[in-house]
Amino acid sequence: MLTRHASRLCRFAAAAAIALGAATAPAAAGGKFIFANSSAYDTLDPHAVFDVGRVASRINLYDGLMRWFDNPPHLEPWLAETVDISDDGLTYTFTLRDAKFHDGSPVEASDVVYSIDRILAMKKGAYSLFEGTVAPGSTQAPDAKTVVFNLSKPSAIFLATVPEIHVLNAELVKANEADGDLGTAWLSKNDAGSGSFQLRRYDPAIGWQATRFEDHFFGWDMVDNPLDEIEFRTVVEINSRVLGLMNGDFHGTDGYLPQDQVKRLRTSDHVVVQEEESMRIFYSIIHNGRPPMNDINFRKALSYAFDYDGFIDNILSGSVARNPVPLPNNMWGSPKDAGGYTLDLEKAKEHLAMVEGDVREITLGALAGYGQTEQAAALLQNGLNKIGVKTRIVAETWPVASGKMRDEEQMYDLLFLWKSTYYADPNNWLGEMYACEQIGARNNSWYCNEEVDRLLSEARVSTDQDLRRANYEKANRLLMEDAAGIFVYNTKWFGPFNKNARGVRFSPIGNGQEMRWVSME
Amino acid sequence: MMETARFLLRKLAADRTAALGALLILLLIVVAIAAPVLSTHPQDVAEFNPPGRLQPPSAEHYFGTDRMGSDVYSRILFGARITITIAVIAIGVSVLIGVPVGLVAGYYRNWASDALMRISDIFLAVPQIVLAIAIAQTLGPSIENVILALSATYWPFWARLVYAETRSALNETYVEASIALGASPGRVMLFHVLPNISSSLIVRTTIGMGGTILTAATLGFLGLGPPAPSPEWGRTIAESREFLPEAWWYATAPGLAIFLVVMGFNLFGDGLRDILDPRTRRSSDG
Repeated sequence: MLTRHASRLCRFAAAAAIALGAATAPAAAGGKFIFANSSAYDTLDPHAVFDVGRVASRINLYDGLMRWFDNPPHLEPWLAETVDISDDGLTYTFTLRDAKFHDGSPVEASDVVYSIDRILAMKKGAYSLFEGTVAPGSTQAPDAKTVVFNLSKPSAIFLATVPEIHVLNAELVKANEADGDLGTAWLSKNDAGSGSFQLRRYDPAIGWQATRFEDHFFGWDMVDNPLDEIEFRTVVEINSRVLGLMNGDFHGTDGYLPQDQVKRLRTSDHVVVQEEESMRIFYSIIHNGRPPMNDINFRKALSYAFDYDGFIDNILSGSVARNPVPLPNNMWGSPKDAGGYTLDLEKAKEHLAMVEGDVREITLGALAGYGQTEQAAALLQNGLNKIGVKTRIVAETWPVASGKMRDEEQMYDLLFLWKSTYYADPNNWLGEMYACEQIGARNNSWYCNEEVDRLLSEARVSTDQDLRRANYEKANRLLMEDAAGIFVYNTKWFGPFNKNARGVRFSPIGNGQEMRWVSME
Repeated sequence: MMETARFLLRKLAADRTAALGALLILLLIVVAIAAPVLSTHPQDVAEFNPPGRLQPPSAEHYFGTDRMGSDVYSRILFGARITITIAVIAIGVSVLIGVPVGLVAGYYRNWASDALMRISDIFLAVPQIVLAIAIAQTLGPSIENVILALSATYWPFWARLVYAETRSALNETYVEASIALGASPGRVMLFHVLPNISSSLIVRTTIGMGGTILTAATLGFLGLGPPAPSPEWGRTIAESREFLPEAWWYATAPGLAIFLVVMGFNLFGDGLRDILDPRTRRSSDG
């Protein structure tokens, strides 16, 4: 038995205490923190959604067995005290800590079993991470404190995805089930978690408010003057969010604002902008399954026709870093000397001339309301115009675009968008974007290359870190060589916070929205 | 015919606000036709210059530059073409559908006439902008679909108007006389009723142009109009929001363009109404 103990957690706790200042008795008034969120919380069910826009309800109201911290992200036991992994990589045994749900009942192994089976039954949110790896009913609770996951096949990424198993209070949810709906209706507006904050009020049109959960298992000793109340309010308009921060109405908002707004925020006395290198790449999906994009020469022509420098240096004022491969530069497995494409219309023309068959008008997809995607599409259109390729830009909302992405016929020829971090493993990008088995689900490029697929499948199950690294580096190079997509940049996070806020901890997974570490002076 | 035109011109010259409206409309038409000549950077409609983005107004760029480094002034001029195209076709189609429907429904008094008017009532029951948004959203963003959405929601206004006017015209002696002389229904509608209700039709159409342009800009603003990098005015304002208040010129220029054009049509329409439709004349002129 390979044993990994949670002694790391204790070290981490101590380190955090140091980082946050000497642990003192919590002072009386902790204050309230209002976060202006760009998208609406249409549901609070932690198993129904799996995106960045609504991450705050999951990590503040709920706990998982493991959790990601800081940047570069490291995985630590959270509700679990220890985790044992069997030699064959198929059995994961977690021992739980003493923890309580918000209603005072203890967190038990049966709650974890209920939660994973609920995810598998709902087939929503993070379900695709566990599909095929964890079979429904295979997870066991030999006693109240022990959970055993029996995987169907070895998976190098299982542990990395465990934080998404948000643990629900099984009894409470079952008591509120209606017509066998697994409590989805009730959970969409109520909380059955053990997280650091306890839901007080929720309105899909406004957002949600929560109060500090005094009995949280991790305790509050290490945070000097922790927050008493948090509010995540939906504020769609960028200008309203920025103005609200500048006049002190809001204390934080998302860290991916347009650079012009970041500049503006920096001039405010109320705001401090924190900077971190994130893991969120901007690229264009290319529909590899449809002519003329199934011709490598056409894809190369596309890659040579985009003005990378103009986009990064001018439009984004150099606020991001060029990322020539699908994997973020700062993630292991990313080749350091990849080179990558540059704007070169001569080469683009050469490749275009080698394309077999006719080149028709190409549809460039962009996400309505996300100015950057439209600007990138316009720049590419500009380049393609010059080499004689006709294009049409279609900007549609995210719900529309994400629906089309799953349909081979409806998918745009190209689509500019971001790929964020859901778990810090190269599989989050490469394995989902380009593995053959993910076609139509998360591989929206209809790209299937035998060699790349072999490297990715091997890396997905292997526990040999060196082999995984080598495979991912090679896959990155092959994908770039194949011009499978137009890979543009890796994002920097510019988190604007009220100057009185202390202790914000940024991680590419939670984007600085885990509020238990924060205090207001 | 010449007499009528001269009469109209004389009346218009006497009404300063209407003359101002006419001037603004004329300006829009000239700008739309001569956009390639009048613009300082005609290539900026399709080409970009990222290093020169968000520059304030200057002698080089009268209205500054936008997020792609394109000349806002030139793009506004080309945007006028889109605006005119949308407004003229949408209103044209609305008139082509609404007028015959109104004439037929007004002339006959049977179930078909009732059915036609109830259908137009259904359209009028939903706020026009809401219906247009729903149609444009369903069909996807493009100029054609904006025109379709506007036409589909505007024709009932003409149907209503023509219906009411036709009903009252049917009581006039000249209509009764022509029917008595054995004129066919088509003849009565086209040669007797239509010419006599044309003045209120012209007034309604002119004022409707302003409303149509405003609705088209609204659709563009909401992202339902022609996609980027189209210089459509509503979309330009939507793009500029990210850069307010620093890049004030970016939103001001298209906003001013919409304001002037809509005002032009409204002033001109009001003036026409005073001249052609004395029943609803503004009280100040009384």
